[in-house]
Amino acid sequence: MIRMLNHTADVGFEIEAPTLEALFDEARRALLMMMFERPPERGEEERWVQLSATDLEFLLVRWINELVYNIQSAEFVPVRTEIRIREAEMGGFFLEGLLAGAALDLEGYRWQGEIKSATFHGLVVAPEGEGWRARMILDV
Amino acid sequence: MSAFREGAAMKIKHLTAFKHRIPREGRMKVDATFYASGAILEDLKAEDYASLRQLCNVATLPGIVEPALSMPDIHWGYGFPIGGVAAFDPQREGVVSPGGVGFDINCGVRLLVSELDREELATHEDRLANALYEGIPSGVGSSRRDVKLSRKDLEEILLGGAAPLVKRGYGEPEDLDHIESGGRFPNADPKRVSGRAYERGVSQLGTLGSGNHFLEVQYVDEIYDEEAAQAFGLSLRQVTILIHSGSRGLGHQVCQDYVERFIQVASRYGIELGDRQLAAAPIESPEGEAYLGAMSGAANFAFANRQLISHFARRAFEVAGFGSKEHRLSVLYDLAHNNAKFEKHGGREVLVHRKGATRAFGPGNPELPKRYRFAGQPVLVPGDMGRYSFVLAGTKGAMSETFGSSAHGAGRKMSRRRAKKAAKGRNLVREMEDKGILVRAASRATVDEEMSEAYKDAAEVVETTHGAGIGRKVARLRPLIVVKG
Repeated sequence: MIRMLNHTADVGFEIEAPTLEALFDEARRALLMMMFERPPERGEEERWVQLSATDLEFLLVRWINELVYNIQSAEFVPVRTEIRIREAEMGGFFLEGLLAGAALDLEGYRWQGEIKSATFHGLVVAPEGEGWRARMILDV
Repeated sequence: MSAFREGAAMKIKHLTAFKHRIPREGRMKVDATFYASGAILEDLKAEDYASLRQLCNVATLPGIVEPALSMPDIHWGYGFPIGGVAAFDPQREGVVSPGGVGFDINCGVRLLVSELDREELATHEDRLANALYEGIPSGVGSSRRDVKLSRKDLEEILLGGAAPLVKRGYGEPEDLDHIESGGRFPNADPKRVSGRAYERGVSQLGTLGSGNHFLEVQYVDEIYDEEAAQAFGLSLRQVTILIHSGSRGLGHQVCQDYVERFIQVASRYGIELGDRQLAAAPIESPEGEAYLGAMSGAANFAFANRQLISHFARRAFEVAGFGSKEHRLSVLYDLAHNNAKFEKHGGREVLVHRKGATRAFGPGNPELPKRYRFAGQPVLVPGDMGRYSFVLAGTKGAMSETFGSSAHGAGRKMSRRRAKKAAKGRNLVREMEDKGILVRAASRATVDEEMSEAYKDAAEVVETTHGAGIGRKVARLRPLIVVKG
């Protein structure tokens, strides 16, 4: 579930999903909805991603910033993820897996504008019932 | 968790019609002062004082010098409110906060003045609009491919700001005299900038970016202060060019890198964060020094970015039939609204954070070009793309009350999603054309999000700034051509 937020200066989303991995994929989908009017649905190119962070909120910020980098700098739009998130033995969290995507096509996907960064402002990643929810504001 | 919660009562003392104070309470270390007209106060109330609560959070940071401030264009940001000004004393454990500078480090505006008047431009407008749009890439995927920079070149720019570009022929030596701080932050340390920041910056020098960034061709339609206008070289009907852009991906990455790093060390320095986006470290700490070195590098990149955009704007005027010899475009001023600078106020050196606020030094300040010293520093306040922008002058009032700061723009009143909804079924480019304004934009979404109605009236912000004595109205500029990312 994705709900876009109405922050006056910036943009944001609230998401829910049954697992952490699905929650992070919902965040990817929300990001693409912000950046493109018609985000791509297929992509054959694959890239490996590895991230770690001290907590889940930190990890979500790093995840979104990694995706923003891939789209805006590497011109690679991730359309599917196969990721695993696990708690590290020494504390903190570790994310790794595959991003499958397509080359950036500004006109084809109807580009809506740049994202500068994910922010920590009002950021939430928390268990909700039997699943997870998150809330994030992004600077545009 | 915010220190100042939603729904909590806000105690406000109204000092004058435009100046208001929130007395220190709870974890606040100093009072907060904000500037607002009756209409702006109503807007703040309508958002349940969310941005004023952010200002109160800023007032909890260590070493803050009284008061925490916000300018009349205050609006809800993340961490600091947009329009926030806060000074920190390095001698009293004062901190530096990357969130208090913002992601777009040293984002700012540059005003170029031409020797043309509106009528001379009239028959060339379409050609000029196309030449500007083609000559100045605006967004992602359209990076500059005609200016190749090596890592070494980029390091030189991070150290030297606008000057290395002028040396390479992208501008005139006198441009540098009309840029805040001469177009260069001292003490930049390129080694403090991450590899990813370099990677994001290398192809983006000389690009506008999207969102609220723009290039406008305008004309002077009203002059309020003849003497200051004359000092600034402004006259009625004169054509001007306003450029709004910042440090692009390089600056965004520097901010990301250091917000993350500062969150991790804040507790080590006993800094309790009401909002993690306010992450801070002592100015005199290894982390603080590293950020200031990287931020200064990113600030210099932003100065260089506006320098390169100006070069290509000059070239576009040539393409449109206005040769550079007969039709000079001179820099009136270039100033930033997202940075942290060491300045002397009240006899001591403090680190002034301005996030969505403009430096506005008053008359007599030795940092100003000689021809502006009597009038005060030019202060540029862009409005929305359909109405007007303003030129103000810095005042003694700003020096004594706001650490030499003033407003930076109109401020949004509508979220981007709401603006898009309001634009549905309308052709805003056609509507603007009917008003005599040509629009060239990389995406329709940007035009919809940036529609006039999405912004507060810049005139309200300017009247409040003028009324509060923290800026003096000089001239008003009306748009003729708008180039958006």
